[in-house]
Amino acid sequence: MKKIIFLYLLFINIAFGYNYDDVLLKAQASIFPKVILLDKKIEDKLIEDKIVYTIVYDKIDYLTASSIKEFIDKNFQGQLDKYNYKVNLVEINEFSKETEASAIYVLNLNEHIEKIANIAKEKGIISFSYSINNLKKGLMFSLIIEKSTVLYLKKENLYTKKIDFVDALLQMVRFIETDYAQDNKNIMYYNTPKTLYVGLDKY
Amino acid sequence: MAKKIKSLSSKIVFLIAVVTIVSILLIFNIFEKMNKEAFYNVETQKAKLVLNTIEPLIALNIYLNLNNRIEQVTKQLVTNPDILSVKVLQNDKVLNEVKSKDFENNVNDSFIVSSSIFQPNSKKEIGKLVLTYSNKNYKELVGSYTTLLIKVLFLFAVFFLVFSLYVKKLLSPLHKIAKLLKGYSPNRNINIPFDNQNNEIGFISNALNNMQQSILKYSKQQQNINKYLEEKVDEKTKELKRQLYTNTLTGLPNRRRLLHDIHNYDDGALLIINIDDFKEINDFFGHTVGDDILISFSRKLSYMITKEHNATLIHLSGDEFALFFTKKPSKEEFIEFATTLINNVESMIFYHENNELSIRITIGGAYQIQEALEKADIALKSAKKSGKEFLLYDETLNVEQQYKNNMEWTKKLSWALENDKITAFYQPIFDNKTNKIVSSECLIRLIDQNNNIISPYHFLTIAKKTKMYSKLTKIMIEKSCQYFEHLDCDFSINVSVEDILDEEIVEYISHSVQKYNVSKKIIFELLETEGIENYEEVSSFIHEMKSLGCRIAIDDFGSGYSNFEYLLQLNIDYIKIDGSLIKNLDTDKNAQIVVETIVSFAKKLDIIVIAEYVHNKDVYEKVKALNIDRSQGFFLEEPQDSLILS
Repeated sequence: MKKIIFLYLLFINIAFGYNYDDVLLKAQASIFPKVILLDKKIEDKLIEDKIVYTIVYDKIDYLTASSIKEFIDKNFQGQLDKYNYKVNLVEINEFSKETEASAIYVLNLNEHIEKIANIAKEKGIISFSYSINNLKKGLMFSLIIEKSTVLYLKKENLYTKKIDFVDALLQMVRFIETDYAQDNKNIMYYNTPKTLYVGLDKY
Repeated sequence: MAKKIKSLSSKIVFLIAVVTIVSILLIFNIFEKMNKEAFYNVETQKAKLVLNTIEPLIALNIYLNLNNRIEQVTKQLVTNPDILSVKVLQNDKVLNEVKSKDFENNVNDSFIVSSSIFQPNSKKEIGKLVLTYSNKNYKELVGSYTTLLIKVLFLFAVFFLVFSLYVKKLLSPLHKIAKLLKGYSPNRNINIPFDNQNNEIGFISNALNNMQQSILKYSKQQQNINKYLEEKVDEKTKELKRQLYTNTLTGLPNRRRLLHDIHNYDDGALLIINIDDFKEINDFFGHTVGDDILISFSRKLSYMITKEHNATLIHLSGDEFALFFTKKPSKEEFIEFATTLINNVESMIFYHENNELSIRITIGGAYQIQEALEKADIALKSAKKSGKEFLLYDETLNVEQQYKNNMEWTKKLSWALENDKITAFYQPIFDNKTNKIVSSECLIRLIDQNNNIISPYHFLTIAKKTKMYSKLTKIMIEKSCQYFEHLDCDFSINVSVEDILDEEIVEYISHSVQKYNVSKKIIFELLETEGIENYEEVSSFIHEMKSLGCRIAIDDFGSGYSNFEYLLQLNIDYIKIDGSLIKNLDTDKNAQIVVETIVSFAKKLDIIVIAEYVHNKDVYEKVKALNIDRSQGFFLEEPQDSLILS
């Protein structure tokens, strides 16, 4: 029976699942939690004195989300600088305003991106997206790997009084316009994971 | 040599130059130092600013482990020509280091600044940023500034040089005025220029010109005053000169003039004329009369001297005149002139209030110019002493020898006083009835350097002349009183009229008598003649000594022509008959009569009579036969340095 379920899931995964770039996932898992600490108003976002890093995923991406959680815990050992943190895995259907989150990391989703972006905006918390394409739907940060690692920020999504990043972050990020993702071939190109393995071992 | 004028303007210029140079050097050094420091700080601040600018970006990249982005930043940084290298350290390990292409060439002219890299949004240090910054800009700045400073200071120096030269030019009139005034004298008018200038120099010039006029006026007045004063001084000098060489009473040349003349002549002769007993005239008629007689006498003498005599009449002092023959007459003429002069003076008559007065003179003469005054004076004194009217100085007078003897005895006396060689000898006086010693006469003796005993005959007169007499009296009083203090015997001491007239000696005698408690033993022997001549002083002395309990004897009684009664009013206790009466008493009938009279007279008045000079047995026997109370003489005992009473 177990074999049947596993095979079912595997089949489902193969049939309907999205192919994630493992290197990019690791890069984002390494950098995004640190970016949370670059917010000068991080204290306002603590939940029970902890940073809650909520990963929103589609049902079929559960394993990916789990592996990300595992990677973060292994990398940060439960401590982000002086703060304790907790990685909270939330399936998209369960995600709501009530979901605890100091920051939200959104894996690939076919829908509800705007909803998540609005909740994040409403809460005044940082939102990260695996896919840069989701920035046009209201998420704040994404990261891709070009010749070097580039952190992207959707400028319109930054206008909130509840977030105040260190100046240097704003100097180093690459701002992205509304139609940038669609017009930029490079970014679209990154959606093809096969070419992204070069020089990312350090993650 | 005239002192060179030190220019005030040159001094000012010099001082301005010195102050300027010192100021320039000071300003240059201070500004140079300050600006180097400031420029260095600017460059350091620039470097630090660069560090501070890139530090957050580097920090973020380290924080996010975006190392390749660090290199992008550092590489971009070294494109700045002032930044030679950038080094990023993490945990003391070089994370990234980028050097500019000029690094090797300029590394020696650079400085290093560093700053810590802090984790963004945290104070945690996560690395270190080291910047090598070029000095080139700093050096260029310093060089530019130094050049500018030098230019400014040079202009500053030029300005002060011009200023000081201007000051020198302004003050140059003062220098000219000073030069002109250097040759100024009240009699020379100097035209001082610049008086038309309307400034301080113009005022000074005007003031000096006005002052010159005032000085000239004052100088002329002063010259007139000086001329008047010079005339007065000349007049007074002549007057004083005349007074210096003239006797103010008679108007004749004085002693100083005579000495001057003697000094200036090679040959000549001198007579000194002394009016005999002129003191008596003064005492009896008064000094005014005395002066009138002197004036009259000088005139009469002047009439007696003619041009042919070639003689000058001189008024030496008081009663002494001189005649100085500048052309020496023959000796016979000289003596004859003196003799004639004496005779003429004897016939002179002076009048005072209807009284006729006549005078006598004594003359001493010196028939030689050498030491003429001294020799004529010696001759005069010898004439006086010998009672002659005129005596010409002659070496055979032996006066000089007498002077030498006097000098010798003066020395001996001084030596004896200094070495305590004046001593008392004692000659006993015997009672003629008991043949026992009843008293002793204390006699002064001098022991010379050869231990010879010298009698007072040789030195007493000298002592009186040389003011040593009072010392001798004091010594005799002291030694005699001391000797008889504890001896049960009367003693007598000779006291002269000089002693009695000396208050200090009388006081000393009185004090010594009381000190040694010998008032009941001491007898003072006074000379008969002196008692008559100075009756009042002697009487006072006797009264004072009698009040102390002392007794008085009249010595050498019978030698003069005294009024007995007058003498005996002195309340005397003893009479010592003069030796001249005793000496031949055994054979001289007249002496015997006189002595008998004296003894008889004395007995009636209870006065004890003593015969002195008893020199042989016959005399002694006669003395006793004439009922004389006591005897003293060599026959009985010679004077000894101690008295043997037994």
